[in-house]
Amino acid sequence: MVIDWLPSILIVVLLLLGVIGMLRRASLWRAGQPEKVNIIAGLMAMPGRYLKDLHHVVERDKYMSKTHVATGGGFVLSMVLVLVVHVFKVQQQIVAWALLGALLLMLVGAFFVFKRRLNPPERLSKGPWMRLPKSLITFAVTFIVLTLPAAGILPEGTGGIALIMVLSIGVIIGLGELLFGMGWGGPMKHAFAGALHLAFHRRPERFGGGRSTGLKPVDLTSAVIGVAKPSDFKWNQLLGFDACVQCGKCQAMCPAFAAGQPLNPKKLIQDMVVGLAGGTDANYAGSPYPGKEVGQAKGNPNEIITAGLVSQETLWSCTTCRACVEECPMMIEHVDAIVDMRRFLTMEKGETPNKGSEVLENIIATDNPGGYAPGSRTNWAADQNLPVMKDKKEVDVLFWVSDGAFDMRSQRILRAFVKLMKAANVDVAILGDEERDSGDVARRLGDDATFQSLAKRNLATLGQYKFNKIVTTDPHAYHCLRNEYADFDKDGALAGVEVLHHTTFLNQLVQSGALKLDAFKGGKVTYHDPCYLGRYNGEYEAPRDLLRSLGIEIAEMERSGFRSRCCGGGGGAPITDIPGERRIADMRMEDASATGAELVAVGCQQCTAMLEGVVEPRPQVKDISEILVDQLIEEVH
Amino acid sequence: MSDIIRRDPRAEWIMRNRLHPLHEQYASQEEGGEVRGPSGLIRKFPHKVGFIGPNGIKRIDRLKGNATAPKGKRSAAAQEVQLPLHKVDSPDYYIMVVADMVGGRLTGHDKDILGLAHKLIAEQGGNGAVVAVCFGEVKEEHFDTAGVDRVLHIEGEAFEGYAPEARVQALAKVEAQYTVKHWLFPDSIHGGCDLASRLAARLGERPATQAWQVNAEQTVSRGASASLDITRQTPKILMLLEECADAIDETRHEATPMSLDDVSVAAATIKDKGLMAVDPNAIPMAEAEFILSAGNGIHNWDQFHEAAQVLGATEGASRVAVDDGFMPRSRQVGATGTWVTARVYVAVGISGAIQHMQGIGQVDKVVAINTDAGCDMVKRAALSVIGDSEEILAELMKLVAEHKQTSLSDQAEENSNAA
Amino acid sequence: MPHKVISLISVGRHPQSGRSRRADQDSRAVELGLKLAGTGLDVVHAGNSEEPVLRQYAGMGLPKVTVLEQAESADALPALSNYLKAEKADIVLTGVRSESGESSGMTPYLLAEQLGWPIVARVADIVEIKDGEAQVLLALPRGQRRQVTVKLPFIASIDNAAQAARQSAYGPGLRAKMAAQTGSTEEDNVRVNWSEAPAKARPKRLKVVKAKTAADRFKAATAKPQGGSGKVMKNESAQEKAQAIFDLLIEEKVIR
Repeated sequence: MVIDWLPSILIVVLLLLGVIGMLRRASLWRAGQPEKVNIIAGLMAMPGRYLKDLHHVVERDKYMSKTHVATGGGFVLSMVLVLVVHVFKVQQQIVAWALLGALLLMLVGAFFVFKRRLNPPERLSKGPWMRLPKSLITFAVTFIVLTLPAAGILPEGTGGIALIMVLSIGVIIGLGELLFGMGWGGPMKHAFAGALHLAFHRRPERFGGGRSTGLKPVDLTSAVIGVAKPSDFKWNQLLGFDACVQCGKCQAMCPAFAAGQPLNPKKLIQDMVVGLAGGTDANYAGSPYPGKEVGQAKGNPNEIITAGLVSQETLWSCTTCRACVEECPMMIEHVDAIVDMRRFLTMEKGETPNKGSEVLENIIATDNPGGYAPGSRTNWAADQNLPVMKDKKEVDVLFWVSDGAFDMRSQRILRAFVKLMKAANVDVAILGDEERDSGDVARRLGDDATFQSLAKRNLATLGQYKFNKIVTTDPHAYHCLRNEYADFDKDGALAGVEVLHHTTFLNQLVQSGALKLDAFKGGKVTYHDPCYLGRYNGEYEAPRDLLRSLGIEIAEMERSGFRSRCCGGGGGAPITDIPGERRIADMRMEDASATGAELVAVGCQQCTAMLEGVVEPRPQVKDISEILVDQLIEEVH
Repeated sequence: MSDIIRRDPRAEWIMRNRLHPLHEQYASQEEGGEVRGPSGLIRKFPHKVGFIGPNGIKRIDRLKGNATAPKGKRSAAAQEVQLPLHKVDSPDYYIMVVADMVGGRLTGHDKDILGLAHKLIAEQGGNGAVVAVCFGEVKEEHFDTAGVDRVLHIEGEAFEGYAPEARVQALAKVEAQYTVKHWLFPDSIHGGCDLASRLAARLGERPATQAWQVNAEQTVSRGASASLDITRQTPKILMLLEECADAIDETRHEATPMSLDDVSVAAATIKDKGLMAVDPNAIPMAEAEFILSAGNGIHNWDQFHEAAQVLGATEGASRVAVDDGFMPRSRQVGATGTWVTARVYVAVGISGAIQHMQGIGQVDKVVAINTDAGCDMVKRAALSVIGDSEEILAELMKLVAEHKQTSLSDQAEENSNAA
Repeated sequence: MPHKVISLISVGRHPQSGRSRRADQDSRAVELGLKLAGTGLDVVHAGNSEEPVLRQYAGMGLPKVTVLEQAESADALPALSNYLKAEKADIVLTGVRSESGESSGMTPYLLAEQLGWPIVARVADIVEIKDGEAQVLLALPRGQRRQVTVKLPFIASIDNAAQAARQSAYGPGLRAKMAAQTGSTEEDNVRVNWSEAPAKARPKRLKVVKAKTAADRFKAATAKPQGGSGKVMKNESAQEKAQAIFDLLIEEKVIR
């Protein structure tokens, strides 16, 4: 009887429609620029990446991780078995029982999804996502009933045509969401796009506990530099946008969003999806960019993004703190996308806002953002008796001073660090006036041409000398030297050189006993993790070890470690200065004050400047080297 | 009480014993270093007299600060003493100094150049005379002591206001009528540079610009945005920087009027439509000469804006005031904002973060209004008043309003006198 | 009828680093030119077409830069004046003084003299062009402005008070065309006899006290040194404090 076959036919039809949708979706991604990816290896590695890396992130929310394992695992298993039982009609009860088990597992999971959706937190998107648990339950229940005869629990043909009709509707609803929706842009798209995204991720180094945070260099000879239109992204970046589950974890962590600046990482990724598929954001059902209405944005793969899809202020609000990337369970690269679009604005349109153009011009003309005379770079060290590489040629430790050399506040940090190194008898030298800006600000502001030029010239200078380590007090320069210069280091100027942040280096000195320190006697101390030290380079422990070595018990802030909140000073944000409702630095200082600390220890001159810019009364702000130097026991010779 | 002056042995003992706990107290009672001696006579205590001079050497002012009073009289008398008159009869050549005459009076820059003109004549020898060429309204009364041998005042409606074309035609006629050895102009933004360049182009002479070391043979001038010293033969037309020579101050000069025969000029292609009223707040901060700047200590913003308007000052702000949204970002003064060059900078409620101090590094006079006497801005300021800014600004506005009233009536008086 | 606007550009020099850059006033002249003529603006440089700084100018959105190819020592005037005559320019915009070389600021004046055109110096803005006349704002010290009208064609030198130049974008600058023409070969013979050296710091004039009497000399010797911390008023009444500030403002002549 045909009617008996109806559910099976529906399964096959929806499966086929789903596959067609998926192929169409894939063709949308292929509108992006080519990028070499090892397809086979990626697909092979995908399950491992899913089970290990992705779940490592999801695991931070135990409720959701268990729910997802039950629902997702149950679905994949039952889908396979559904095909076996209901399409290929394998008549073995054991398989049917296995299917029932899988469906029950999924049903339990779906129930917990349903429960979460009863009163969803603000970060979650609503709209079609509210329907998902119901579709999941419909799917599970429908197939449980449909499988009961195969499992021998109910006799074949129970319920007659009426039940089959009801079940067919159930199949349409359930599979319509889960298979058809997967291919045609429903919430379940995340499973299909997400799986492929994991397989073809642009930064495969991130899997297996690795870290890949350096920005990718842009091709300066291409017809359009940077990303103007959605189709200017690499194809696997587009794929990555499609993987978004709209969980809003990024939005909850984004400092710009919290400060009321017009940026919401989740909305940004969804706008990219609108851009790659064409259309408007009218169906977006999550939080908007603060201060901007939803429904106005429209775009398509070949339209300029900033001409209607995303406003420029949104792109310039980002501090590149990477909190969103760190938090994203789908491992989407928000910061890469933002900087790619900034590159177009800066290098093609010349529209870096506010002080941006002035700073870039200064960097080009003087190799430092302040426009100071390059010959005055070493003035701060006039009384420091520091040897210069030009004279020494060979040294153990090269101290990369960074542009803090021009800032009177940062010079205090530099002096403190020099004093510590002298106390530990470190064989150290600086580049002196030969040093240039690392290019961090230029790169984050989208001027990759200037960054590349600085990187090449700095590398040429470094290549003339021999040293074992580079140490710097500036996490931004540290990040550039350690993670981004390698792309331009053709002559191996940094090959075999250990790049260290000063806290790491000082920690080594303290551990080895080269530095003798007194116990700290001040009040409560908290530690602020600089983004470019923590999230970008994974150094969370050395600064804490140092503080502990002074006998300090750190009063941790609620957002610390990999969840540390940005000070607002990264990514050129203080330069582009997009107005919000409040300042990020003020929010961070509130975090610090909430611990009751009297002193905020910091490992970055930019963070120091930002946090000290908060109006008093507030805790004191000191770089770790400044705290250490106060406790230094100087040996009298 | 008896009139007998009695010794107080205890007080004397304390005065002698510098370690006595009351010594300071007794010593400070002896005002002006005067001590009652053992015989009852008043004696000077030499260790307490005088003060430490600028060179670290102790000085005793026996006039007790009265030295200035008689000095005024004396210098008044000295002015009556006539400076020697420098006379030039029928000169062989002239050195023309085309003065800026800002506001109708010689500027310091003009006077330096007049001094240089005399230096050139002294070096070159011969019977040369220094001529001040001026256009438009002239209010200067002391041409004689500024070193002007002859005054060539070119008058006429065509030369009033902004009339570079008419003026350069007149100068070309001067060149034709007189034997001119050098044309000296101030290299200034008050028109001297413009006029000089026009004349040089007209006469086909190659001028020296931004000249700062000039003698009869050689001129050193700046080039390449003041990064280069160019040494060359002294040309006929020179545009001179400030302080290129010392002004004349020891001689008196004739300042005899000269005249230009033909003052007719062709119709101008550039027409002056007058000065524009400029809102002080529209002046770019980096250029403004008087800035009233607000910081965290301001609570009454309406009053602050009103004060800026009454004083005619350009508004500035500290970073905090900008961050809090009270002032636009373009008003921020400091390392990350604008570096200002104002002559007077009034910082209201700004404690002076290091970045802010960097931004006002080039300011001449800083006035601080603050509640905290220990803040960095007070240390930097030439004048600091400690107190509530609202009250002080209100008083200040009152004073300025009164002043404007009186100066307006003064002006009216002057005008009626002139009429 | 759109007017033919030509901006003349030169190689600038950064005041701190001494490195080549787009000159401040010249780039403002380009900005003003773009405002007046849009993409119809013709930007002309006399010198080397390989000069990288030209790309910085082009990055302001110029599809093409006209280069009158000539040696650095050659005199730019004949080539420029021929070009301006041939192109029938209406408005020529230049900087006030170049940032490199002699920096005499004579180029616009000599061009004007040769072409017989009027020149307006230190222009802050060109407001309107109507009936063969342009309404021009001149920059005076401390932000003041003077309004003048001038007949076309004319030359204007652009002051630092004019609208700041837009940001230079790398991509368009890289792709702009350098349209080279032959420039002049006339050498600058006068300059050969000059000697050039890095600028020496000028000594600041000290206050010379020509004391005639002992009392004057004494006063000069004992006068309190300038500087140090200023006067601090704490306990006076608000009125007295305001008076002190007021006196200072009057003394500094910022209140008239």
